[in-house]
Amino acid sequence: MKTIHIAMLASLLMGATTQAQNPLGLPDVPIPENNPQSAEKIALGEKLFDDERFSSTGDVSCATCHDKEKAFSDGPLVTSEGIRKLTGTRNGPTVVNSAYYESLFWDGRSPSLEDQALHPFINPIEMGLSDHEPILATIRDDREYVRAFRDVFDVRANDITMEHVTMAIAAFERTLISGDSPWDRWYFGGEEDAISESAKRGFDVFLKDGRCVSCHMIEQDFATFTDNQFHNIGVGINAMQDRVPELAAAFMQAKQQGIDVDVAVLTDADTSDLGRFAVDDQLDSMGAFKTSTLRNIAVTGPFMHDGSIATLREVVEHYNNGGATTPEEEINAFLSGGIRPLDLTDEQIDDLVAFMEALTSPQFAELATMLSTASNSGGDQ
Amino acid sequence: MKNIFTIALLACVAGPLVADEFTETEVERWQQHFATVADEGRALWTDPELGTNAVACAQCHPNAANTHPETYPKFQKQLGRVAELWEMINWCIRNPLEGEDLAADDPKMIAMQAYIHRERKGVRLAPGKH
Amino acid sequence: MNNRREFLKATTTGLIAGMLPVSLIRLASAQENGPDFTFAYISDSHIQQIKGNNFVRNWDQGLKRAVAEANLLLPKPDFVVFGGDLAQLGNKPELDHGAAMLAGLNYDKVFAVMGEHDYYLDLGEYWSELYGEHYYSWDHKGVHFITLNSILTYDEWTFDRWETPERRMNEMAGLDNPNGSPFMVGKKQLDWLKKDLAEVKNDTPIVVFSHSPLQKIFKNWNFWTEDAEAVQKLLEPFDKVNVIYGHVHQIQYNQIGNIAFTSVMSTAWPWPYPESYALAESHLPILTVPMNRADPFNERDATGWQFMNMHTGRVDLEFNLYDNTNRTVAWNDEKGHPQDTVHAEPTDRTLPQSHF
Repeated sequence: MKTIHIAMLASLLMGATTQAQNPLGLPDVPIPENNPQSAEKIALGEKLFDDERFSSTGDVSCATCHDKEKAFSDGPLVTSEGIRKLTGTRNGPTVVNSAYYESLFWDGRSPSLEDQALHPFINPIEMGLSDHEPILATIRDDREYVRAFRDVFDVRANDITMEHVTMAIAAFERTLISGDSPWDRWYFGGEEDAISESAKRGFDVFLKDGRCVSCHMIEQDFATFTDNQFHNIGVGINAMQDRVPELAAAFMQAKQQGIDVDVAVLTDADTSDLGRFAVDDQLDSMGAFKTSTLRNIAVTGPFMHDGSIATLREVVEHYNNGGATTPEEEINAFLSGGIRPLDLTDEQIDDLVAFMEALTSPQFAELATMLSTASNSGGDQ
Repeated sequence: MKNIFTIALLACVAGPLVADEFTETEVERWQQHFATVADEGRALWTDPELGTNAVACAQCHPNAANTHPETYPKFQKQLGRVAELWEMINWCIRNPLEGEDLAADDPKMIAMQAYIHRERKGVRLAPGKH
Repeated sequence: MNNRREFLKATTTGLIAGMLPVSLIRLASAQENGPDFTFAYISDSHIQQIKGNNFVRNWDQGLKRAVAEANLLLPKPDFVVFGGDLAQLGNKPELDHGAAMLAGLNYDKVFAVMGEHDYYLDLGEYWSELYGEHYYSWDHKGVHFITLNSILTYDEWTFDRWETPERRMNEMAGLDNPNGSPFMVGKKQLDWLKKDLAEVKNDTPIVVFSHSPLQKIFKNWNFWTEDAEAVQKLLEPFDKVNVIYGHVHQIQYNQIGNIAFTSVMSTAWPWPYPESYALAESHLPILTVPMNRADPFNERDATGWQFMNMHTGRVDLEFNLYDNTNRTVAWNDEKGHPQDTVHAEPTDRTLPQSHF
């Protein structure tokens, strides 16, 4: 991990990345004008990312749920664990390639990496602080931090704000990009033997019978595998679809009376499953969640906003059923327009999984092997 | 008299003996071939048997409107790359019509493209336009 | 969304419990007498039978979603209207399947408008069993509502030209079919309408529901009513007239004299705007800001349903577009015609509204 990180740093030091310098298959990283990259800022961001003192119990940092040994995720946890191992309703997404998202969190309630970093600190089941002051107090008391903030932001200890903190964290996160997967080398790089025949057939399923490409977008010379939109694919909401009218009404009332949406969606399963609706109040968004990237998907399970689907094969079966995890489950009426039964054969499903496995970047290849060995021998211990 | 007439007739049907020349009659005939095929395309356009769910192209595209043949090849979001008209027609056959792909040179595909283009006659080319 | 913030600002916490945000535009102009109320409108579901009990899933989903969303509205609208073309080929399985889905609406009353796809197989016989009269009127909170069957056509075409009812239905089903025949209200209904309106005072707001546009927009695709002028003439004496029509599967709105026209969306699929057919001349009702250009991948894009706010006798229409930004076409009292509340100025258009 560390090696790759430095390599990214090096390329970033050469100035803004261009298509030619990006890892194969990736577009330019969007970098906000007011938060340019620099080696010192990135290093500071990483230090903040790893710092467990910024929690009420002193043992939870961003890295707790976004662990670099686990592709910046926290598999096999179904839902993430915060202070005192408290769990919530949502599966922790990977930070890798999150720089390409136009909104953060499963329901897109945060518009930027900088903003996103503010939320977990003060969520009662994540870092559990009641406000950001303890973070700033810790930083101001720490000589190394004070020196770093001065070097990066030209700011004195007492003038350090959460804006500086989150800008540094975001800058670090923008280096966590990965492309150059076996599929990239085959599709964009023209290496005929980079992936198996099964994965090649799987890519064809991805484009055609699977209908995946329209949400998990690819473009002419790069692929982020997300359309940055929100879709109801029938996860979570199917089980509660009959109660949606009363739940939606109750939630809107509560919201109008000023509840904290951040807290509600992470602590209450029903609210969580309302999805994007809880954020933008649109009927359209009922039960809808952000299209996840598929890069490194094989090492960032379990899957879906609630971690409810354990394997990639079961994910494909969920789509094959037309938006239901089991064929008996009733499809919900708010289903996204793109979802419908696919009638894929077993071979097509296997091939599609093989394709998705080919999207793991080299720096996570070892992790992928480890995970697949573990699942193959599973249950023997 | 009869002989001259016959010879003259033969000359018309057989065509000129020089390579790069063609006659009014030939042009009419060849354009009629196109019209016939385009008419077949129209028939397919309204055919509930083209896909498997009784939906016909004409339901969403009356007179082939909103097919924009003049913009192809272009980047097609649903296909993830720059693609041609026939590939998008196949996308429609597979998806809204729940049917099977046709080869690019399948007579049916050619017929539908002929019909689409005929209904769009006169519109300027705009390749690549989204 | 701005509307919600406005709405919440305008209300106090002491008001009705349970406010759903997708609602109510308050016009800046002074409020006149007359209660405000809302009604929902679902239209053009085109339930299509493939074989036996197998129906086109895409259209089923569109109607199901409209029903599910309509059931979420709070405060609940007073009634629901179904705008016509419940079925695709007017047969009993399709009408039954559609009616069963509409029965999922938890509203007391559904008023139904006849569409050509419902009519031309059996001339509305089964429709009447499900939904009653083909044309009728009623009053609600001081507004006079009229439903017309505006998809009739010349007797010769209807009764003499086709060997079988199925053939007749198939010929009318093709929007661009040159064998089709223009829609009309017909003499019988014009006579009925005249008598019905004779009982109504000129300052009573009127809302007319019709499937075809009651104006002449594009003959090729029967965006047309042959005797539109006659209908409009009968409505001329009244101060506030609103016509709501389906059939076109796209956003359209217009003002002709004293009548504000607004179309409704289809739950099934969108239609291209007439301009997109290069070989025929056409015009779009002049006030219309087009709906966003459709994304064919998403089956629900450019489809939806709507609800209407009756406010001072005028209709403000909120289009609920699935997977798309909602649109509001509200009565502008200053200008004296309906207007999109966001995109009226060309500089306020989004790219998908102009880049087709």
